[in-house]
Amino acid sequence: MTTNVSPPQRRKFLFTMLGGLGALIGAASAWPVFRFLSPIAADGSGDKVVVARGDVARGKAHFFQYHGKPAVLLQPAPGEFVALSAVCTHLGCVVAWQEQAGEFLCPCHGGRFSSEGQVLSGPPPAPLETLVVELDGDQLKIG
Amino acid sequence: MQPIKWLVDFIDVRLGVKDIYTKELSGYLLPRNVNAWYTLGAVLIALFKIQILTGILLLMFYVPDAEKAFSSVQYIMNEVPYGWLFRMLHAVGANVIMIALVLHMLSVLFMGSYKGRREFTWLTGFTILNLTMGLCLTGYLLPWSQLSFWATTVATDAAGAIPLVGNYLVEFLRGGPTVDNQTLGRFFALHVVGMPLVLLGLIGAHLFCVKRRGISSAPFGSEYKASEELPFFEHEKHPGGIPFFPNYFVKDAAVISFFIAFLLAIIFYAPGLFFPESAFQPADPFVTPPHIKPEWYFLWAYQTLKIFPSEIIGLGVQVAFMNFLALLPFIDRGPERRPAKRPLFVTCYVLGILLFVAISVWGHYS
Amino acid sequence: MSRVVIWSFLVVSLALLSIPASSFADETVCLQCHAGLSGHLSAPVADWQASVHAENGISCHDCHGGDPTDMAMAMSPDRGFIGAPEYEGVPEFCGRCHVGVFDAYSAGAHGQALEEGGAQCVVCHGNHAIQRASLDLINEEDCSRCHTYERAALIRLAMVETDTMIKDVEHDLDRLYRLGFAVDEMEGTLFNQRNIFHRTFHGVDVERVRKETGGVQAELSKVKSEVAEVDNTLGKRKLWGSVVISLFILAGVIFLLVRKAYEEEGG
Repeated sequence: MTTNVSPPQRRKFLFTMLGGLGALIGAASAWPVFRFLSPIAADGSGDKVVVARGDVARGKAHFFQYHGKPAVLLQPAPGEFVALSAVCTHLGCVVAWQEQAGEFLCPCHGGRFSSEGQVLSGPPPAPLETLVVELDGDQLKIG
Repeated sequence: MQPIKWLVDFIDVRLGVKDIYTKELSGYLLPRNVNAWYTLGAVLIALFKIQILTGILLLMFYVPDAEKAFSSVQYIMNEVPYGWLFRMLHAVGANVIMIALVLHMLSVLFMGSYKGRREFTWLTGFTILNLTMGLCLTGYLLPWSQLSFWATTVATDAAGAIPLVGNYLVEFLRGGPTVDNQTLGRFFALHVVGMPLVLLGLIGAHLFCVKRRGISSAPFGSEYKASEELPFFEHEKHPGGIPFFPNYFVKDAAVISFFIAFLLAIIFYAPGLFFPESAFQPADPFVTPPHIKPEWYFLWAYQTLKIFPSEIIGLGVQVAFMNFLALLPFIDRGPERRPAKRPLFVTCYVLGILLFVAISVWGHYS
Repeated sequence: MSRVVIWSFLVVSLALLSIPASSFADETVCLQCHAGLSGHLSAPVADWQASVHAENGISCHDCHGGDPTDMAMAMSPDRGFIGAPEYEGVPEFCGRCHVGVFDAYSAGAHGQALEEGGAQCVVCHGNHAIQRASLDLINEEDCSRCHTYERAALIRLAMVETDTMIKDVEHDLDRLYRLGFAVDEMEGTLFNQRNIFHRTFHGVDVERVRKETGGVQAELSKVKSEVAEVDNTLGKRKLWGSVVISLFILAGVIFLLVRKAYEEEGG
């Protein structure tokens, strides 16, 4: 292309453009690094889940959601509470509470768990995960 | 007086930086027929810098323990802001470095730049190539996926082909009979500190050799002179040449920009290119995924091992080939550097490239 | 090197790599013996090997009992061998593991008609060559063996939409998984809903199926909107990525133009 602009003048213009581009690219690079290094705000997933004490009757199981996953609360003895993950450790089905037998039965492939989550029989390779639960007056705090 | 001029004078009076600038940058003259292939060195330095930066960032969240490695990488990919970006830059960047390394080596071979008393440059460069492959191999294990685990198992198994010491060597590499936590520990240490330190030293030595001997002219055009083997040291000058800075530096910067654009294009448009499915499954020592194979830059070695009926022969062939390449400047002693006048070399060169591609493709589909 | 040697080496090395996955099954004495018999006694071997049970490591003794490691005692009742069930004993036989399905089946029309020769598990699913359940098991040819196809057709209709939705979500989650996203929770929801879906059918009750599939679809919609959110994020990333890529290409071009300016000046 023919132009009346001399090479030095052209260079100066191009360097100015490069300066602008460099600033943009610099910002585009610095922003992700800054966000990567910034402390991650707690999104509430560390919060405890609260269940009313009255919801968990003796001998019955109360199912609820614990941070997106199914969980279950039991009251094996008066005033004693147990919280477990209700996800079967075999392939992930939700276990069902058998009130007569006082144990959990997984409807998918027949795995059985005790009221403490221990494996009694069937394919599950590991016990149900225990969740920390504390009694605070009339409320049960899990997590 | 402008603030920048004042600052430069301040430093110059104490350290003589203006003199360095003249000697190393604006007064460092390159041959007039320098071409785009000469930028690959700068490209590689830029890419290695990206690896170090992204590597440091990843180190802040990665956990080098068999129980936690995979989930720490998942955490980086899903929870840490832009964690996915830095992980991808690091993983894809490694592959782009291998591409650039191969291109750099191919252009040096084609232009015969290893001739004319430049053997040390070639040797340090070849060692850098091998060390980079080692960095890729050790880095590969760190995510502790099915791919990581089994590719490492297959790769370390190859050492078992060596007679007498083979089995012991395999256990030594792994830190135990199988790939396990102790393998992860040593691979991690090598990948993060051991090999990078050696690499930095080698790159320094490589650059020193380049600058000390002087950059070679491209063997094209009317100015061509055959490489001489003088009985004394001579630094190759290029009077009337192109100043490195800023004149040729902008070419370096252009090609670096294009390579980074290429790297980003893969990350955003073909993110699965270097990630087969087994890269997303956590390692299971009891289940081998079907079709396990190493990364593309190791396929040639993998396939060569499978071709030969005896493992030791397969390994021997590879070692022989690598030694041949390493010692090339001592084997190809002719002063002629123009490709048009080196028919045997160019034939072997082209056949070599075709063979490499063919064996790699075969390794991919077998 | 002869081609035979090369190919046999390839085959051997590939076979060696696949050993861990198949070693368990081949070792049972059941398979060893029955594979060598003839007619209907050896048919189950090949049938089972192609089945979804074999894929998941469920072997002969898991259903029939007995000792898979001891040839002499393999079929002894002392080792728990219970043999093949009678026609009416099949649902209970399979129901030892497939509890939820057994409950739904027993309460439904098929289960209630069992003693009169109503359909049981094997009638639709086969016994050894069992594949993953799919909607194709409900078809005119098979269902009209005992009665007209009308109600089955209604049930199938009620299920088709959900089945398509399930396949869609499966496909989406697989796509996201390949991009490195943590899809465990969503996979869990999908798994649950798919089970509920399959289980419900076995009660062969049109209204019940309609109601349950409504629930399944609601849960799956939630997963779908999660997927849509992820896709949205991916789209935004791609957009910003394209912007930055263009910036780099532009920078490269400008650097080349600068180089050209230097060249014109003689260097």
